[in-house]
Amino acid sequence: MNIGFIGLGLMGAPMARNLAKAGHALHVWSRRPQALAEIAKSPSYTVHDSAAAVAAASEIVFTMVADSPDVHQVILGENGVGEGGKPGLIVVDMSTIAPETAREVAAALFERGIDFLDAPVSGGEAGAINAQLTIMVGGEQHVFDRVKPLLDLLGKSVTLIGGSGAGQVAKACNQIITGVGVCAVAEAINFAHKTGVDAKSMREVLLGGFAASKILELHGQRMIERSFVPGFKAWMHQKDLRIVMDAAHAQHLSLPTAAAALQLYNGMVGSGRGEEDTTAMLKLFEQMSGVDLEAAQ
Amino acid sequence: MKIGFIGLGVMGNPMAQHLLKGGHAVSVWARREASAAEVIAAGATFRNSPTELAQHCEVVFTMITASSDVENVALGHGNDGGLIHGFARGSVLVDMSTIAPTMARKIAGHLAIRGVEFLDAPVSGGGMGAQNATLAIMAGGKAEVFARIKPLFDLMGKTVLHVGPTGAGQITKACNQMVMVAAIEAVAEAAHLAAANNVDFARVMGALQNGSAGSRVLDFFGDKMARRDFAAGIEARLHHKDYALIMDEAARAGAPLPISTQVWQQLNGLMALGWGKEDTSSLLRVLERYQN
Repeated sequence: MNIGFIGLGLMGAPMARNLAKAGHALHVWSRRPQALAEIAKSPSYTVHDSAAAVAAASEIVFTMVADSPDVHQVILGENGVGEGGKPGLIVVDMSTIAPETAREVAAALFERGIDFLDAPVSGGEAGAINAQLTIMVGGEQHVFDRVKPLLDLLGKSVTLIGGSGAGQVAKACNQIITGVGVCAVAEAINFAHKTGVDAKSMREVLLGGFAASKILELHGQRMIERSFVPGFKAWMHQKDLRIVMDAAHAQHLSLPTAAAALQLYNGMVGSGRGEEDTTAMLKLFEQMSGVDLEAAQ
Repeated sequence: MKIGFIGLGVMGNPMAQHLLKGGHAVSVWARREASAAEVIAAGATFRNSPTELAQHCEVVFTMITASSDVENVALGHGNDGGLIHGFARGSVLVDMSTIAPTMARKIAGHLAIRGVEFLDAPVSGGGMGAQNATLAIMAGGKAEVFARIKPLFDLMGKTVLHVGPTGAGQITKACNQMVMVAAIEAVAEAAHLAAANNVDFARVMGALQNGSAGSRVLDFFGDKMARRDFAAGIEARLHHKDYALIMDEAARAGAPLPISTQVWQQLNGLMALGWGKEDTSSLLRVLERYQN
């Protein structure tokens, strides 16, 4: 199948590779052409000079970009996917963006006879490489059914949650739980350290009880090893929690814990740790608790 | 001086009146001409569009609710030309609305290209302060532009300060809102704790007022809470709106605001419970909801 893929970053590049491995022809474009220099050497990829050209050459276009305005631009902007796409095209946005934007884009594409799914993912870079992503989808059942075989090449848990925007709402819920979870694990490890308890043993024993979670297992491990290489950058989780809190403001929802977590991610960005993994939250807490960071390294 | 005024609501109407009383020629524009009836009766001239108004004025004041409305009036929107298309070089736009600092900087940037000056000059003091010309006015922009406008500010306010470059006025207003609404929440929590222990909050107030916890917020909002008078005052929905701006700016700057963010959530709750058009002292009623 001719498949478009826009957004070949940390997540997008390995996802496109998994589609190519299954024998599909990939059509790509990037705002920064040099980002495609390596990929262009592979016979599976055709590089185009606009998102519109990618859409014109494809039956299904995937987008995996940073934020709501990027999705808006790439799909509805000048020379965007919407301009080049013929009626019958399916656009699958896998970025994490505002549910509101997903619904807007879906409605605008619908007018042109183009179907849209919002299909954000969880599982990080490792999940993208190993095709182990969790994919949460919003849109129409018949569109989902057509795209499902391709999504199965990217992830192991692929679920249609509801109508347009529902995928993004599920992802927002995911980001609340993981965003708060990283803070909780970092607090627990800092607490253990400060009170003279071995964090390694603490983590091991808790993994056998009700506090067991993926975050305690994986993020906890990295915090204890003091390995803060992303993974998932702190500024991106800040962005995701801003989407959550903006929606909460508009909907008049009280989300006191997510609100507190967002402030901590603000602190990550403000203290120059935005490019580090979210696990570096531990360092922020240590700094606020008077731990000697040099000695802790 | 030839002055323009747009935004003739509870705040703007008395402010424009003070400028008229100061002997200035005041032009006004409003989407609904009827809302300008009072100032027109007092001697103001109605203009047919922001562009036309700007053509007749050296200084234009705006006092409007939302960031997007200020943008539309200043820079135009669709077929509406906006002030920018009427201003002569050297004229000044003074926006006294509470809007996003980034929006203030954006408008200033567009005007600067055409040689038009800009001050962001939000106010504190409410309808009463506007009525009595006792507003606190916090202005951002060039010092020399502030000096030119200062005599006009003095007709509307009592504490008039230049706080820094463009956007600084809005940042100062954000600080004002944070400090005030967090204090209202603190007073509400005190009232809630007192009630939960069957202690009369009016008496608690009496004990606190002259001590270290004494404040204007305690006097004013504590009294309203003690009397369970939740009529606005300042409509809580306006504070709720301010928090979206404040928290957005905090995220952009990477500044954690742990208390403000909790106040924001209480305001979300207040809105959900349908008290947006009532006074912010309704934060007490949000706390009481935890018990039902």
